[in-house]
Amino acid sequence: MKVLNKNKLPAVFDKLAQQSELFVPLQKKEQSGFYSWKSFDQASDQLALDLLNVYLPPKQVLLPQTEKMYSFRQEEGGVAISEVYEESQARVIFGIRACDLQAINCLDQAFLTRGFVDEYYKARRDNTTIVASACYKPGANCFCSSMGVDPLEPAGADAIIRDTGSEFFIWEARTPAGEELSRQLAEYLEEKELPLPQSQAFERQVDMEGVAEKLSQVFSSPLWEELSDACQTCGICTYLCPSCYCFDIQVKNQGEAGYRFRCWDSCMYGEYTMMAGGHNPRASATERFRNRFLHKLEFFNERYGMPLCTGCGRCIIACPAGIDISKIITAAKEADWSA
Amino acid sequence: MHNCNCENPLVPQIVEIVKIIDETPDVKTFHVRNENGVPFDVRPGQLAMVSLLPVGEGMFSVSWQEEKEHLQFAIRRVGLMTDELHSVGVGHKIGVRGPYGNGFPVEACQGKDMLFIAGGIGLAPLRSFIKYCLKHRSDYGKIQVLYGARSYADLCFKDELFDLWPKEKDTEVFTTLDRPEEGWDGHVGLIPSYLEELNPAPEGKVAVICGPPIMIKFALKSLEKMGYNDEQVITTLEMRMKCGIGKCGRCNIGSEYICLDGPVFNLAQLRKLPPEW
Repeated sequence: MKVLNKNKLPAVFDKLAQQSELFVPLQKKEQSGFYSWKSFDQASDQLALDLLNVYLPPKQVLLPQTEKMYSFRQEEGGVAISEVYEESQARVIFGIRACDLQAINCLDQAFLTRGFVDEYYKARRDNTTIVASACYKPGANCFCSSMGVDPLEPAGADAIIRDTGSEFFIWEARTPAGEELSRQLAEYLEEKELPLPQSQAFERQVDMEGVAEKLSQVFSSPLWEELSDACQTCGICTYLCPSCYCFDIQVKNQGEAGYRFRCWDSCMYGEYTMMAGGHNPRASATERFRNRFLHKLEFFNERYGMPLCTGCGRCIIACPAGIDISKIITAAKEADWSA
Repeated sequence: MHNCNCENPLVPQIVEIVKIIDETPDVKTFHVRNENGVPFDVRPGQLAMVSLLPVGEGMFSVSWQEEKEHLQFAIRRVGLMTDELHSVGVGHKIGVRGPYGNGFPVEACQGKDMLFIAGGIGLAPLRSFIKYCLKHRSDYGKIQVLYGARSYADLCFKDELFDLWPKEKDTEVFTTLDRPEEGWDGHVGLIPSYLEELNPAPEGKVAVICGPPIMIKFALKSLEKMGYNDEQVITTLEMRMKCGIGKCGRCNIGSEYICLDGPVFNLAQLRKLPPEW
């Protein structure tokens, strides 16, 4: 098998970053997430390949929090579109976990299928190579295996690294793009037979069997009031979720020119569905809360055949009100939904 | 100069406003085209995103495509963008992108009697279907239009309503105002009650409804009372939309997106969805 010595990682990253924008999990002072290797500051940053999970998900690599879409110019006789910003620069995400990678698989469904292709997303996605890190020690809030994710075999990875606990990662290329990485990194890869690490059990488990179907029958239940009671509709769950993808489109004017941009939006905000003229189909916090959890656990399933939650646990950690999606899943099965 | 971006569905094409018709105090119809005519072909009931580039975008039903010449949008002034749009003149350049959504089932309705029920600006999307039926008159049976608004001034498309459509073969137009008004000797009262008064028989008919959510709810109840089954009743829904292509998230009703799977649904389809419309 091919192995990669951990002490060669900085050199490996430097090499990859020569040809691509490389994103790796970093701890930057108080914050952790997937950052460009170019931003690595030896004095204050640490590589966070062991951290489960980095606080910020990697979705911004493919769906930036704010991105320019196109610019326009007002001129004599009207207006013209001057530039369309489709970013096709090569990217590598290194060290992504199976949950976050499954979230990207969800984004692929939403942005690339069902009649229309989101060209902005596609331009990035087509040029992104993914090296996933297999998880052998799930964190306290992890429940990916309950959501149909195999933490040892991250689906959709171009290459996989496995931490043997020694100074080596096992390196496995899985796709032609992964093979290409192996070629690029040939000077750092060695041949060595090592035992696979032992995987540990999940502390947190839920049973998704039948949940989507059950939720499709309890839309009008008063239990949603109770479940959503503590929710402050702050939206932190949607921002930290690796698979939440809703966006808003807005405009910025700069004199005679300007540009349209899109930015992450949240279904937890009242404005999200507020129509011109004031009608709002989801005016209450309970309605918005219900829509969010049904989107995650029922609607996305119905539409794309997979839940829109991958069990990464971030929203459980971050929610200031203690709302826990794994408990909602359990409630779907066990609670009394009758009026 | 960046030309047509048909490749990227989120980037508008530039069109010129070639005509503006004042329909009501707060509704104007805009005719738009580019140098070649229509920027794209639209089926009745489909939507397009209209952009005032420096201001914003809004999703509107296309109230008619005139051959390959121009698209028509009847737009009510209700918010920031529409307010601004109502202040521009002929010759102004705006953006449009589309077409979006499924449109009306014009083929499936062939051979049927058509009953159109609209309130206020709700006639804008239905107009494309009504005009389509009139254009292909022999494909459809009897055509009845029931239309109501708050006041006479608020009735859209007055020339078609009072002059053109009633002259068409086997076509009836029933108009009602919410309240009595000096000079109005037509029907007064809300649409659902007028509908029950007229009591059009359900046999061989398709009913198409659009209007304020509250009117739709009551009109649906009336139709049910009158014996219309769920497959015979079609409506076109509205929600806030940003992208038009089923990605931005907000226009869902259950797992369906109004911009993509709608805006047109029959009642049988709607009853399978959560009651959030």
